[in-house]
Amino acid sequence: MNSPLESVALFYIGPVPITQAILTTWAIMAVLVLGAKLLTRRLALIADKRQAALELLVAMLDTQIRETTGAAPAPYRDFIGTLFLFILVANWSSLVPGVDPPTAKLETDAALALLVFLSVIWFGVRGAGLRGYLKSFAAPNVVMIPLNMLESVTRVFSMFVRLFGNVMSGVFVIGIVASLAGLLVPIPLIALDLLTGLVQAYIFAVLAMVFITSAVEDGQPRRAEAGPVPSPKQKDP
Amino acid sequence: MTIDFWGLGLQAVNVLILVWLLSRVFWRPVAGAIARRQETTQAMLAAAKAAEVKAGAALAEVGKARDGIAAERRALLAEAAAKAEAAAQASLAEARAKAETLLADAQTAIDRDRAAARRETAAEASALSVDIAARLLGQLNGPAVQTAFLARLLKAIAGMSAAERASLVASAAEIEIVTAAALTDAEWAEIGTAISAALGGAPRLTFATDPDLIAGLELRSAHFVLRNSWQADLAAILKEMKDAA
Repeated sequence: MNSPLESVALFYIGPVPITQAILTTWAIMAVLVLGAKLLTRRLALIADKRQAALELLVAMLDTQIRETTGAAPAPYRDFIGTLFLFILVANWSSLVPGVDPPTAKLETDAALALLVFLSVIWFGVRGAGLRGYLKSFAAPNVVMIPLNMLESVTRVFSMFVRLFGNVMSGVFVIGIVASLAGLLVPIPLIALDLLTGLVQAYIFAVLAMVFITSAVEDGQPRRAEAGPVPSPKQKDP
Repeated sequence: MTIDFWGLGLQAVNVLILVWLLSRVFWRPVAGAIARRQETTQAMLAAAKAAEVKAGAALAEVGKARDGIAAERRALLAEAAAKAEAAAQASLAEARAKAETLLADAQTAIDRDRAAARRETAAEASALSVDIAARLLGQLNGPAVQTAFLARLLKAIAGMSAAERASLVASAAEIEIVTAAALTDAEWAEIGTAISAALGGAPRLTFATDPDLIAGLELRSAHFVLRNSWQADLAAILKEMKDAA
């Protein structure tokens, strides 16, 4: 078994090494996009079971965003929802024999954490303006600026480490148990790994949402503190 | 432990691309479908609300019209009742007038019939009375009665004007002296003498008998009759009774 901390390049495209995690990510992207395209082909006013299930998923996500942020879900839905779906499918891709989940590799989780870090900045500036976003570091007072700046990095780093640790450890444990005790013994661990994958996807998405909301809320003027967080430009459908 | 930054960047780009793609093929279409349904539902609710308001207004109109119809119906019924009452009163009055007319006609007819019956009865009674009287008087035809009738005749002749008496005497026609029963020649002569003296001349006298006279003495010529008998008296009485009835 290779070390989970190292990625082996299968081939190179120019200077870019293509690893199995990247290939699996591309496959997951293809599956998600094609599946979404197929599932949303015929959306009608009167929904069938398939459409009802899709709308239930979107409505649940919207409700989660609304309850977490207190704002309209439309601006955050694409990013948060895609994060959740990608991490969930990536975690569960370990069910396919011979496939390691991309989230069990450092680069993928670091990339997701990096995207969350950048999205916090993006939504913070978009919602409260650059001045408001920068002011969010001075909450509750200027003494906290260094700590807040450090926190903005460490919290996404903790997300990255949490996701990587959970998924990698699951894969690693299952691999060890499978190599020692045959095929049937790892099944409970695989089931547990499925649950862990779902929980981790949910935690990652919710934390991303909380961080974004925090940046937007802290950047708002004082009078807006009691009210709900305004949506940054896009209207809620 | 090493981090492949090329791989990190590529995965970040991959996820960004996935975000972009899914936003277009999944999140927005599904959210759009939900929004369209919500809008449609809102529109339908608004339309239903408007229809409800419209239906309420129509219902109010119908209620108002129904009240109007009810009032009109009551007015028509009252008018019809009044007309029926008036027609009934008119019919009753007409029927009463007709009945009164019929009653009056019937009363008139009854009175007329009663009067006619009374007249008829009176006539019959008169005729019967005359018959009875004639029979009774017929039994009294004696010399005293004859003498009395002669006196009445002479008095009647005396009551005539002198011109009438002279005309009667001068007439070429015979004067017939009629009695109810046959007389003796002496009696005839006595009567002829008394009449000739009363007329004042010598008229041509003949004698005849007519039992229908019952009793009495009459003068008859071609143009003159002097009635003096119970028959004539009874006929006069009967006529008077008929006229009185």
